[in-house]
Amino acid sequence: MFTQFFNWYEKRHDYAREWLAKTGGEVVGCFCSYAPEELIYAAGCLPVRMLGSHEPQDVTEPHIFGMFCPFCRDVLAQGLKGRYKYMKGIMISHSCLHLRQSYTSWENHVPVDFSYYLPFPAKVQTVHARPYLKGEFAQFKEALEKWRGKLIPDDSLREAVELYNENRRLMREIYALRHAPDPPLTGLEAMVMVASSFFVDKKDHNVELKRILPELKNRKLDRNTGARLMIVGSEDDDTAFIKMVESVGATIVADDHCTGSRYFWNSTEVNGDLLQSIANRYIDRPACPSKDWEERTRFPHILKMAKDAKVDGAIIIQQKFCDPHECDIPMLRKYLEENGIPCLFLEFDVTVPLGPFRIRVEAFLEMVGEEDLF
Amino acid sequence: MAEKRKEFWRWKEYNWHDESMNPKDADLITAGVDVGSVSSQTVIMADGQLYAYSNMRTGSDSPDSARKAMSWALEGTPLTMGDLAYTVGTGYGRVNVPFANRAITEIACHARGGNMMYGPSVRTILDMGGQDCKAILCDDRGKVTNFLMNDKCAAGTGRGMEVFADLLAVSIEEVGELSLDVEEEPPPVSSTCVVFAKSEATSLLREGWPKSKVLAAYCSAMAHRVYTLLERVGVQKEFAITGGIAKNIGVVKRLEKELGLNSLKSKYDTQIAGALGAALFAKALVEKERKQAAAQ
Repeated sequence: MFTQFFNWYEKRHDYAREWLAKTGGEVVGCFCSYAPEELIYAAGCLPVRMLGSHEPQDVTEPHIFGMFCPFCRDVLAQGLKGRYKYMKGIMISHSCLHLRQSYTSWENHVPVDFSYYLPFPAKVQTVHARPYLKGEFAQFKEALEKWRGKLIPDDSLREAVELYNENRRLMREIYALRHAPDPPLTGLEAMVMVASSFFVDKKDHNVELKRILPELKNRKLDRNTGARLMIVGSEDDDTAFIKMVESVGATIVADDHCTGSRYFWNSTEVNGDLLQSIANRYIDRPACPSKDWEERTRFPHILKMAKDAKVDGAIIIQQKFCDPHECDIPMLRKYLEENGIPCLFLEFDVTVPLGPFRIRVEAFLEMVGEEDLF
Repeated sequence: MAEKRKEFWRWKEYNWHDESMNPKDADLITAGVDVGSVSSQTVIMADGQLYAYSNMRTGSDSPDSARKAMSWALEGTPLTMGDLAYTVGTGYGRVNVPFANRAITEIACHARGGNMMYGPSVRTILDMGGQDCKAILCDDRGKVTNFLMNDKCAAGTGRGMEVFADLLAVSIEEVGELSLDVEEEPPPVSSTCVVFAKSEATSLLREGWPKSKVLAAYCSAMAHRVYTLLERVGVQKEFAITGGIAKNIGVVKRLEKELGLNSLKSKYDTQIAGALGAALFAKALVEKERKQAAAQ
């Protein structure tokens, strides 16, 4: 049922090249999930989030300090290896310095026609963030218009907002099905569904989501659900890890990742000024820890997700050296454990050691279950 | 012709069974097989009582190591494989125990085995194994409540100690005692890498340090490394150590000093904790199966 999503995920570059040939537009690579994709889409471009390939590499050593996160190095490696030769534009909405280094190195070492640094506010909780972000979005829109040589009409922007909202609504509906005692989709399928939405025109993605939704409601998987787990962290599309976890007696039923629910959780509520409405959506979305100050709004949000999905435990997935998440994890772990959600902490790299992770995951599953052995 | 080199790291392999017991009278014989990265143990229990065990080095082939450890535990007893009602495999090679009915992680097994070895008051178990080190918290039934493993580096494990025994030409069994034979505790060597610690030790020897002082510096580094692991998981009383390093008094004493806490002692061999826990789980599992069969 999820074959199309897996195809898009695995053949992301083929899709982008076909899209370019079909539409005559341009592909714009985005370095962070805070990128206002609606604006890029309305400019006739395909916004694509760059993710890593989880292969060992040595091309980034001269460009990025070794103690920057594996994700930012893996992303840059894709550019340095020439896998995005078809991509003419790049942009970053500022979230963390590690990823900004990938952006800057890309700008310096991978030829592009258009590059844009969008200074997204770090403190989204201040009242000044909203008008400020609207102003930044307006400047970004102008830059896109200048590059593409034509204005972005309000109608196009409105259509893009509707298209993106529909995509978000459909994926949330599918995520809600995971609350069932026996979820009709695995965590791996959910992960690939969301990750593929980063690469594919939302029009195509929506068609596929609408096709599977009715079938999914009646789908019975030929597997035991086992322990219900949530995964929490930064970027995570490590499918090999998820496959391993789901092969040892567990199902991932919820997540809080920027390549998962944080990307699509809330919609743009169009109310008055369109650009302000879009800015509000990005200010109000489930926060990345780099922006969650001073109140930690993500904690109750994650707990609610965990409770709604009736999870038995959470795996906290930490990209090695990811400072914003490292800052949150001790408090988050304490908060979840005090609220009855046992946690397993794992540190991820470009590739993960599946054997050592497997024993930790199995021991965690034995810890949260197996009462009848005592 | 090259002189045959003595392998100082090579610890003695052994088996044991309780001559006073007649396992043929038992209703239920269960077994646990712990195939670790360095050593393998088999424990055989008769109605939940320890009856026999073996302890030997793990070879390059996990199934073969499991078979050997099992045959050696059975050797000299009236039992055969056919008498085993249920076998649980554990350890690094747990999924490669060909005759096991089920695999359970060594983390759960050490907690369960530690509960029997040290009694229900034990809350923190430190398993110092061949290539990893685990700090385990458990409840009064021996069920894990939290755990932490060392990662990315095997410093602070049995294999590291074997490297030092070989380097200093001191038999592995004597390392602990000799390390205590110092007037003043030297500063610890590098605690994050066995290879770096080894080169550091070589230069200390060149400087004229006696073997005991170098071993003291290494045992102290190892104790400090596992101390930080324990601190991260949060030590709760009572505290016990399982695995091969529990037999190294040089590490144990230094760790107890750093923790300000004495470890519990047991009449059981600390290296069989994992296999013992596995055999206890095997008993629980076969009883569960019997109950289910009776209910049908």
